[in-house]
Amino acid sequence: MDKLTEIRWHGRGGQGAVTSAELTALAAIKEGKFAQAFPSFGPERRGAPVLAFNRISESEHIRVRSAVTQPDIVVVLDPGLLYIVDVTSGLKDGGALIINSSKKLVDIKLEFGGPWQLAVVNATTIALELLKVPIVNTTMLGALLKVSDAIKLDFLLEPIEERFGKLAQRNIEACKRAYEETSVAEPSPTSKKVERAYAKESWPSWQELAPGFVVTEPGNARSYRTGDWRAQCPEWNHDRCIKCGICSLFCPEDCIRPNERGYPEADLYYCKGCGICARECWTQAITMGEEVKE
Amino acid sequence: MKRVGFESSFAIAEAVKMANIDVTSAYPITPQTHIVERIAQLIADGELDANYIPVESEHSAMSGCLGASAVGARTFTATAGQGLELMHEVLYVASSMRLPIVMSVCNRALSSPLSIWGDHSDVMAVRDTGWIQIFAENAQQAFDLTLCAFRIAEDPAVLLPTMVHIDGFHLSHVIESVLLPEVDEVNKFLPKFHPLYALNPSKPLTMGDFATPDLYTEAKKGQDEALRNSMKVILQAWREFGGLFERDYFPVETYRTEDADVLLLTMGSFSEVAMGAIDRLREAGEKVGLVKLRLWRPFPFDEFCQAVAQAKLLIVLDRAISFGGPGPVCSEAKAALYHLEKKPQIIGFIGGLGGRDISVEGFQDMIHRGMDKAEQGKFEEFEIFGVRG
Ligand code: SF4
Ligand code: SF4
Repeated sequence: MDKLTEIRWHGRGGQGAVTSAELTALAAIKEGKFAQAFPSFGPERRGAPVLAFNRISESEHIRVRSAVTQPDIVVVLDPGLLYIVDVTSGLKDGGALIINSSKKLVDIKLEFGGPWQLAVVNATTIALELLKVPIVNTTMLGALLKVSDAIKLDFLLEPIEERFGKLAQRNIEACKRAYEETSVAEPSPTSKKVERAYAKESWPSWQELAPGFVVTEPGNARSYRTGDWRAQCPEWNHDRCIKCGICSLFCPEDCIRPNERGYPEADLYYCKGCGICARECWTQAITMGEEVKE
Repeated sequence: MKRVGFESSFAIAEAVKMANIDVTSAYPITPQTHIVERIAQLIADGELDANYIPVESEHSAMSGCLGASAVGARTFTATAGQGLELMHEVLYVASSMRLPIVMSVCNRALSSPLSIWGDHSDVMAVRDTGWIQIFAENAQQAFDLTLCAFRIAEDPAVLLPTMVHIDGFHLSHVIESVLLPEVDEVNKFLPKFHPLYALNPSKPLTMGDFATPDLYTEAKKGQDEALRNSMKVILQAWREFGGLFERDYFPVETYRTEDADVLLLTMGSFSEVAMGAIDRLREAGEKVGLVKLRLWRPFPFDEFCQAVAQAKLLIVLDRAISFGGPGPVCSEAKAALYHLEKKPQIIGFIGGLGGRDISVEGFQDMIHRGMDKAEQGKFEEFEIFGVRG
């Protein structure tokens, strides 16, 4: 059988992980290879952790359609995900882990080094500078090009042009700049994976479900910490705010409440950083700042 | 207990009255109209204290039933043919939300060409919706089995919606004698409905939620187990009914099958006609018998195999076509018997479509044709009985 390269993309709804996977597959196919791209289908909400997958084969149609659980390459579009999702799960020895982070390679390596190549790029800053939005899909493709020959830049250009039209040039620039700025550390076969207590998903057996799939604790969305999804954080400028309440009406998480002085404030347990409040505020009292998370 | 002359539809309405339902949400359609008209009359006359929700379609009728049953109301509706088809998607919701709605279905052909007359096309089209499906053969059974349906559906170990099938016109519009029990006897048999879960603003819960791939399979497994396990409760309910009212019902019933070589399998009102044919053939010395399928879902595998395994030939009448495939009852019979060492050969007929009669002579003829075909080894053929040309 042909060599198969499997890629798993970790992103958040709206960050473009699915687009990254699609462009990767299109570039591989243009080059004459066989490839697949697909998302982990689900109820996608802006900011929710999402997965996308690629399989690339030199010369054979790919039959397997199940999710990639033992990837050769893992790409993480959002540094916040590192602490809530086990991104290295199943990552093969000798594979590659590519992370978007403002941290230095040496610091990241302490936490996420392993028997895989480690690549780090500050993709959010590049995207904000060149594209003016924190969407890092094309930027992270540059980092992928740096560590893998699964796809090549020449074949990526056309798919990017088709997808982004007028914005294509800036996306290509972002991709190239990321290629230049990605720093790479070679695998350290001896180093062990740092064990983290990731929230384990456990599902009930059929006997444990209530008859008729009735949910007996209503309002359990309250315990759902959508704040974990946040990549950017709303900041209020009180000099501009006229306390009209519009932002709180539009917040999809309904998490904006007036503080004791009557100014709106987001409950960060729920605020997912979607930026809708900032978009809707008519006095531009809200700006979205970069989230610093540990 | 008193003996009265009743149209089957009215007998069903009488059972619904004695069951003292809380809500009906219904839309009239031939040949079911008499049932809901009668119920409307009973409510208007103050004989039945229930809410009648008149709706604009069967889709809404069943949706109304969902809501009523979900708050814990004893709920009934009736439909037929196209009406049952229009309810189709809501039927799945009723069973998967485990809402014990009882529904009379006056089995009717499906368009086109438009036919208001009876066959089992509508019954078979809803086979996989997760409802319990019971067949009645006469007005008395229509009455009895409607009462039993509430008892079965609402049992806390079941909580599944239940259809009682009566053949359109051939049964729905026939006036026969019916023995009516006293209300207090009925009350002994049919306790009040105590829902396991009910929508209630002061004790909120969610029904009909969303399931990701991690949960959907388990939800469906639970539902399927519930339908399979309902068999125990069905048997128990019919046993108790028999004890109280001296009329016995079984998932599979047999007529003169002792040492029969050839068996005919039927469902619904045509079964009684077929009994006449069996009588005549027995008189002529032929070793034939009749097997009647009373319970269609859950399918009574054990009882069915037991009833037919010893025969040499089983002739199956389907009153519905599965276009391009064998008749649905015939396929089920074959699937049920496949694993047995000793089993009869099977000949399938399609017949009685869109209200076409099959007489006693017709059934005699069908049995003989079946025997001939078996002799000639024509097992793969699905003959439409009596078709011209
Ligand atoms: S919409 Fe803008 S001005 Fe209005 S309350 Fe919100 S922050 Fe203040
Ligand atoms: S506070 Fe603003 S950024 Fe946070 S969830 Fe609400 S609208 Fe989105």
